[in-house]
Amino acid sequence: MNLLISYIYYAFLLLLVITAVYSVISRNLLCSIIFISLFNLFMVIVFLLLQAPDVAMAEAVVGMGFTTALFTIAISKTKEEE
Amino acid sequence: MKYFSALLIAVLMLVLFISLQEIPLSQNLMPVSSHYVDSGVKDTGATNLVNAVLFDYRGFDTLGEVTVIFAAAAAFKMLFSHRRIFFFRYGMSPIVKTGMAVYSPFIFIFGIYVIMAGHISPGGGFQGGVILASLSILLTLVYGLWYKVRQTVLSPAISSNIESMGGMVFIFIGLAGIFSGNYFLSNLGAGFFAGIPGSMFSGGSIPLLNIASGLKVTAGLSIIFYSIAGGE
Repeated sequence: MNLLISYIYYAFLLLLVITAVYSVISRNLLCSIIFISLFNLFMVIVFLLLQAPDVAMAEAVVGMGFTTALFTIAISKTKEEE
Repeated sequence: MKYFSALLIAVLMLVLFISLQEIPLSQNLMPVSSHYVDSGVKDTGATNLVNAVLFDYRGFDTLGEVTVIFAAAAAFKMLFSHRRIFFFRYGMSPIVKTGMAVYSPFIFIFGIYVIMAGHISPGGGFQGGVILASLSILLTLVYGLWYKVRQTVLSPAISSNIESMGGMVFIFIGLAGIFSGNYFLSNLGAGFFAGIPGSMFSGGSIPLLNIASGLKVTAGLSIIFYSIAGGE
């Protein structure tokens, strides 16, 4: 990797950590789902920078589409209680 | 809370950087990897080496993954099949429905392309199958669950038939290897058409296995979503 791409790579790693932490500590569950979806978006870019397009495709569709839909359905079916 | 999250981010970032320094980036390959890289195209006829490993060298593992999806779909259908209460009954507004009608053919074509070109470009049966399954989820969310039940192609009964058929096709392609005198799921040794590497019709049994697992993943994931959204 040349220097510019490595800087972009480290920036996306920082974004990964930030979204992961906020998805854990946020109080609203719907907010957590959106942060997990963002985490998967940055993960797709990291996989592309590491030259794994196959994994990036699976991650994009499963992480951002399928699990978001499943978690949203699961939250809408449960009651809010701490 | 803010100081705690800042400290947590800093610690995790440090751990991530330290562990990423240890990754060997393609200088010294393991003997197995260098064998795949050197003779993968010659052995399998597929230029996408990831799919060559998935469906030829390690085809039995892929059969295991496909079985996992089958078991998950069967368990969801068994657990959530009682007392259907539809809460996406009528779908969204006409604007969203019209937009979805414009979008859906493109998503469908893209999913089919990812499945069919799995042996020559990044992609494959699982990825394309999940794209088609997400199209099915979008249609369910936008047009409502009753639309999905009324449609013949998307109905749950047809989906479960397609899922069983995908698994059967996978196993029969594997058994063709045994009947021709080779091992289970053998590719070019079983007499499948090799073709020129990089062309559309090449790679022996890899495109057929891609199509089978794509059908299976599509049907399985749409059954899972349908059971969760429909059952209460």
